Amino acid sequence: MSVNETLQKRQHIRRIVFILMALSVILPLIFKIGLPLKTTKEVRDVFEFIDSLPEGSAVVFSFDHDTATLPEMIPLAEALLRHSFRKNLRVLGLALLAEGAAIGDDNFRRIGNEFGKVYGEDYIFWGFRPQVTVAMLGLGEDISRVFPSDYYGKDVQSYPVMEGIDSYDDIAGVISIADGDMPVHWINYAQARYGVNVIPAVTAVMATTMYPFLQSGQIAGLAAGLRGAAEYEMLLGKPGRAARGMDAQSSAHLLIIGLIIAGNVLMIIERRRK
Amino acid sequence: MHRKLPMYICFLFGAFMLVQFFIPHRTSTAIYETILDWVQIIYAFSLLVGVALLIKHHAIIATRPSAKDRPYSGIVLGGIIGMFIFGIFFGRGEDTAFLWVFKYVQAPMQATMFSLLSFFVASAAFRGFRARNTQAVFLLVAALIVMLGRVPVGDMISGFIPKAADWLLNVPSMAARRGIYIGIALGTISTSLRVILGIERTYLGGSRG
Repeated sequence: MSVNETLQKRQHIRRIVFILMALSVILPLIFKIGLPLKTTKEVRDVFEFIDSLPEGSAVVFSFDHDTATLPEMIPLAEALLRHSFRKNLRVLGLALLAEGAAIGDDNFRRIGNEFGKVYGEDYIFWGFRPQVTVAMLGLGEDISRVFPSDYYGKDVQSYPVMEGIDSYDDIAGVISIADGDMPVHWINYAQARYGVNVIPAVTAVMATTMYPFLQSGQIAGLAAGLRGAAEYEMLLGKPGRAARGMDAQSSAHLLIIGLIIAGNVLMIIERRRK
Repeated sequence: MHRKLPMYICFLFGAFMLVQFFIPHRTSTAIYETILDWVQIIYAFSLLVGVALLIKHHAIIATRPSAKDRPYSGIVLGGIIGMFIFGIFFGRGEDTAFLWVFKYVQAPMQATMFSLLSFFVASAAFRGFRARNTQAVFLLVAALIVMLGRVPVGDMISGFIPKAADWLLNVPSMAARRGIYIGIALGTISTSLRVILGIERTYLGGSRG
């Protein structure tokens, strides 16, 4: 077989693989399968932590991700926000990545409206701050020094929702919705130094980064990836977009496993031929 | 002196931030809070410098007739200027041009780029993930178990698969991860001490440090 033919064959195989991958994601989203899903302890821990908070407790949502990972992050943020609003907690938000500011504000308003919550009375979005470590440390001393004004430029302390909230001492927990290792910074600077509870809600690939902190008890729980969001939706009793996405994820994983096996079988056959 | 002064400042502030953790006095806390404010202000200005350099770089390309990447630089400049105008003059909240562009232009584009990964992962899985030696066999088996164990279909095949996946993540993977964390922590401490004590000087610029 000439080099040209080999390259053409490879291109052909790539195209087939791409088409199979597209179908394995699209078809389960169109034709619902509804595979049963069991909840894991780490997600139940997050749910129970928020569920155990008394009404009016303050929780901080930190949107520490960019738009590339929105399909995985938004179901997590939505599920956690819905639970917090349902429990009538005071929901405070910030972003430590610039893109997180618009994402966070949009989610706060959208989910807040679902529950009839009022901006400034039930929830507030402080906005974006650069230099994560300093922002995290500063919040432990005086929130209004780090965020004198909110996302819309109004004095943070003028909002009723901020009444009695000055530092981490007045906050029940920080939920970091992150696609990187930002929760590790929250653990290092906010949890270790000020003792605030940290709950990472991260992409699936970041889950292994969080397990050592989960095992050592430095985080209150862990919700990771689309699966974490789907489990949380189940615990809330309202399966949503994450639960639907799990079928697509299952079929995509199965396809990749099938491709790995097929690739190895072909390798063995070729070896025997030689 | 132009090299020594930054070193003295670095030592002074580095040593203070190290010591103040153990001094919960009012004065110590007040200085600590002031330093945190300063760092934020300096960082905000460094962001401005970054944006200015980005604009300068792309303005040079966009105005050079022979540059083949002119259209891309034009798009970058248009994006920066457009979003600046939308954000500053028309607001950033609900029903604004800023949020519309962010939600319906930037977010889908970035998500599309990221989702292309799945196609390349699938292609690479078929062509590159081969059991050529014993280590590769271990890696392959571990990957298959974790991939199956993390989706509902794994539990449907056998209850053993999710348990095996959890064990892989909680024991061998965790052991490696802890080792990495301890290494990072020790490296961070030693590098910080070298910077504070003026042994590590590369941040001052120049090749000799």
